[in-house]
Amino acid sequence: MAMSPKGRERSGAPNRMMLRRTLFLLSVCGAAAFVVLAARLYYLQIVRHDELEARAIAQQVRETTVSAPRGTIYDRKGEVLAVSAGVDTIYLSPAEIELYGEDAGAIAAGLSEILGLDYESVYEKTQNTGSWYEVVARKVEADTAEAVRQFKQAGGYNGIKLEADTKRYYPNGSLAAHVIGFVGTDNTGLGGIEAKYDKALSGTNGFIMRSTTAAGTDMLYTSWEDYFDAVPGEDVELTIDSGIQYYVEKHLAQAVEDYDIQNGAAAICMEVDTGAILAMASLGNFDLNDYQTISDEAMAEIDATAMSDEERSEMIAAAQQLQWRNKAISDTYEPGSTFKIITLAMALEEGVVDLDSTFYCGGSVSVPGRNTPVRCWKSGGHGSQTLTQAVQHSCNVAFVNIGLRVGAERFYDYAEAFGFFDRGSDSSVQLTGTTGIDLGGESGSIWWSEDVFSNPDNLSQLAAASFGQTFNITPIQLITAVSACVNGGYLMQPYLVESVTGLDGQVQEHESEPVRQVISEETSAKARAILEQVVGDPNEGTGRNAYVAGYRIGGKTGTSTKTTQEIAGTKEYIVSFLGVAPADDPQIALLVLLDNPSSESGIYVSGGQMAAPVVGKMLADILPYMGIEPEYSDTELMAMDRAAPDVTGLSLDEARAKLSDSSLSWRVVGSGNTVTSQLPAANSVIASGSEVLLYADASPSGGGSVPNLTGMTYAEARQALSQLGMFVSSDSSVTDASGQLVSGQSVNAGTAAPAGTVVTVTLYDNDEDLLGIY
Amino acid sequence: MNYAGARLAPEPSLERKRAAQGSIDLPFAALTLLLLTIGVVMVLSASYARAYYSASTGHNAAYYFLRQLGFAIAGTAAMFVMSRIPMSFYRRMSFPLLAVSLVLLAVVPFIGAAQGDARRWIDLGFTTFQPSEIAKLAVILYFAALICKYKSDMATFRYGILPFALVLGLIVGLLVLEPHFSAAIIIIAIGGVMLFLGGVKLRWFIGVGVTALAGLAVIITFFPYASGRISTWLDPFANTSGDGYQIVQSLYSIGSGGLFGLGLGQGRQTYMYLPEEHNDFIFAVVCEELGFAGAVAILLLFAALIVRGYILAMHMRDRYSFLVTAGITTLLAIQVILNVAVVTNLVPCTGISLPFFSYGGTALMIQLAEMGIVLSASRDIPAWRS
Repeated sequence: MAMSPKGRERSGAPNRMMLRRTLFLLSVCGAAAFVVLAARLYYLQIVRHDELEARAIAQQVRETTVSAPRGTIYDRKGEVLAVSAGVDTIYLSPAEIELYGEDAGAIAAGLSEILGLDYESVYEKTQNTGSWYEVVARKVEADTAEAVRQFKQAGGYNGIKLEADTKRYYPNGSLAAHVIGFVGTDNTGLGGIEAKYDKALSGTNGFIMRSTTAAGTDMLYTSWEDYFDAVPGEDVELTIDSGIQYYVEKHLAQAVEDYDIQNGAAAICMEVDTGAILAMASLGNFDLNDYQTISDEAMAEIDATAMSDEERSEMIAAAQQLQWRNKAISDTYEPGSTFKIITLAMALEEGVVDLDSTFYCGGSVSVPGRNTPVRCWKSGGHGSQTLTQAVQHSCNVAFVNIGLRVGAERFYDYAEAFGFFDRGSDSSVQLTGTTGIDLGGESGSIWWSEDVFSNPDNLSQLAAASFGQTFNITPIQLITAVSACVNGGYLMQPYLVESVTGLDGQVQEHESEPVRQVISEETSAKARAILEQVVGDPNEGTGRNAYVAGYRIGGKTGTSTKTTQEIAGTKEYIVSFLGVAPADDPQIALLVLLDNPSSESGIYVSGGQMAAPVVGKMLADILPYMGIEPEYSDTELMAMDRAAPDVTGLSLDEARAKLSDSSLSWRVVGSGNTVTSQLPAANSVIASGSEVLLYADASPSGGGSVPNLTGMTYAEARQALSQLGMFVSSDSSVTDASGQLVSGQSVNAGTAAPAGTVVTVTLYDNDEDLLGIY
Repeated sequence: MNYAGARLAPEPSLERKRAAQGSIDLPFAALTLLLLTIGVVMVLSASYARAYYSASTGHNAAYYFLRQLGFAIAGTAAMFVMSRIPMSFYRRMSFPLLAVSLVLLAVVPFIGAAQGDARRWIDLGFTTFQPSEIAKLAVILYFAALICKYKSDMATFRYGILPFALVLGLIVGLLVLEPHFSAAIIIIAIGGVMLFLGGVKLRWFIGVGVTALAGLAVIITFFPYASGRISTWLDPFANTSGDGYQIVQSLYSIGSGGLFGLGLGQGRQTYMYLPEEHNDFIFAVVCEELGFAGAVAILLLFAALIVRGYILAMHMRDRYSFLVTAGITTLLAIQVILNVAVVTNLVPCTGISLPFFSYGGTALMIQLAEMGIVLSASRDIPAWRS
């Protein structure tokens, strides 16, 4: 800066001060500010790089869940009980419809036609152009989804999207519904095995991580995707045998109808040596594929009584809860006389009774601490009885005596050992217990505290407990304990899942280990022998209605009064029967409970009259199914129903000879010498002694209105139908055609039926000495 | 560097002759064209996603790029044409230009195209332009002329402050009517710088500065709109989906870049996450795609251009050329610095575009025209001595 300011002032050039100030601006605007900016960039881009980048990626990446295929549920024979199939959720991206200028009307028309939806509602969704996700239909099956896919491709519609999902199918509908359970729309198990084994069945969902634009679409060039594969769910094999389950449900449903059961029914079939549940049923039932729909009757009742929509939906929700309730493990009840098996087993084990012990029943017995004596169900008393007879008669007086001989402390110890409760440190509190079966919803029992039960001054609890009253247990607890009584004394853990198979083929098998041995092999053998006499003795056994010709069946009846109802002033019963077969080497135990039968069904309300025949019919199907061959006595063979031989085309003489061989009689219609047709058709199973109609040059005629057979003996029913040219057969064992009575019939009374119709009936023994609450 | 010798005054007639024959300053022109080229490429990189997904562009990914390219070419041509026009012409035109700006600013609140609550744009059919851009140049040219006229009287209030304050007050008043506060701030700043260079006593700046700070404090305290801006500035992450959205997205973009960036065209925030990605926030895309290294390189280019501008100014032998060159350079510097400061959340968010980068045809053309004026002035400088 050699020039003087004056010199430059003259020349109009910038003066020194201006240059100084320019230099100042240069250093601020050309240098200092940029140093600050660069430092700021360093801080953001280098120091905070990881944090800001993570935040940016978090918003740029969309996660799409890929549902893991849910594992399959099989029964013990490999039949599929529950399976998932791929379906698609179809949705619209109205924003893209607008973006690409696609024809919303054509899209709505196409989709509404393929999916069977209302055009207007689909079109409305296409107009919501701010949205990228408008669901049109969920869980659409493969062929429909394929049609949508083709429609999308043909029209080149970007706005139609498909998203993979899975749907659960239950091929057998309602079969074993309470055991299998069901899944919600989000594929989470909501009941039964589906819920209990949800973790194993559901697997691990996969993810697709995808970078997207702020609008949710793919980035043009810079998209990246990352896959995390879904891990499919594991397969579960149940102990359930679909065949046995089917028979159990069939006969249980029939019983609910025949006896007009008011409050549902339950049945459990258990493999006694392992604790495996072969069948478990609870009625009313529901279709797993449509688990929210309640029965028509329940719906009709709600429609009739609901006063408001709110009340209506509450009632529907309550009805759903009721139909989903698994009575076999969730309901507790006073078991009544079926519990006598337990009392018997502990008394035998303790040696306080033996097969040659005798008991006198005068109709009642007084108990220390009780004001009134305990009455036997038979008011006149059973007189003098052996131990076997006491069980056969289900004599309450004898069992009070047996219980008193065992004593409160030992009784309490055995009750615990049989798994009815778990003792704590405090002897003054009520106790509870469960079996720990691998199924949700198991209720706990309710037992007296040790202090109350073992009070030496008041033995009334012990006395009542001896014949199964004043405590509450679940059906699953009872059948588990009874299985221990007959399997050699081993208390087994009941279970439903036989194995879980992972994707790699690794199988986790259930291993049946006894929880403990409660009684000895010898005691168990004695108990089996006595129980067989309850069913097998046609003269003294109160369980004779469960008899199945050709098989050795053991069992015990039960009729429980509902104490809560009794206090309220109404009488309600739970009738039950617990059968064991074969009695000499038991494989299965079968418990049937019918909750609150109607007193107007015409059948005496008791376990022996109602539940025992049901168990008998179930066993008649289950035992042959299991491959256990029947061995018939001659009298049994004579009394059994038989198949009508094929005699059409034979001469009358030949036909008569053949029918005679089959213990069937005949009646000839027409005047010819050759049988031109016959009723019933060849191979129809009909009662022994039925009169087969032989038509010789005549046409079959007749028929009419099926009569009411209930209350008739089997022989009378045969006679009544014969007059109409119809026939009878029985689904229960025929032991005494002139003694057993009909309790139900396959063709309802008053139904018009042609000649040759075979009406199947259920028989039961209704002797005077069987009528009682035991 | 020794520039003293350059100011050895030749005879006036000889000076004019040299001016006519002298060549433009190549480094300044080269830096301008380099930044312009990078800027136009960045518009493509920043805007292709927005353009592709937008119905208004017909889903043409290159829509904004091609328009900007056209304006850049036209602007470059304008720059060279302007560089051949002698400074005396601009000096004569300074008042008419100011008058035109004032008229346009006066009418824009009535005929301007509405954007939100504001009317800042005049729609010419094929493009739109902001009169405030012209006003900035007009203030520089007119203030330079006035300063040259008042010479040593600039130290007085009557000549050094009053006329300038009246013009600035008029322009700022019109801008507030639009309203367009960021332009008002820039025009006040550039006007202040012109007076600073023109020789106004420093105490005036101290007085005005203190007053401005006090006024700002009042505005922030009593206007919720302003205080909201301040709280968003201090903690943008407090409301990432609302008021803080734009600046947070900008910080995400910048932070994602790291040292070397995601690569040109590889930015992810440009997929509609970052608002104004090809306008005011294009520098965030630069940071994301070119990284710290690329962003600093571009800042260095800007700094070099600015420094070069000031050096040219200091070599001017004519006071008017000096003032115009330094003024235009400072205007460029203010815009660059404020834009990057906003994008990096150094200052509260306000709408300032980045010269040569931000999409906008007329603004770009006016910026290039301003560079053309500087280049014209640069012809006045005798050849550098080694």
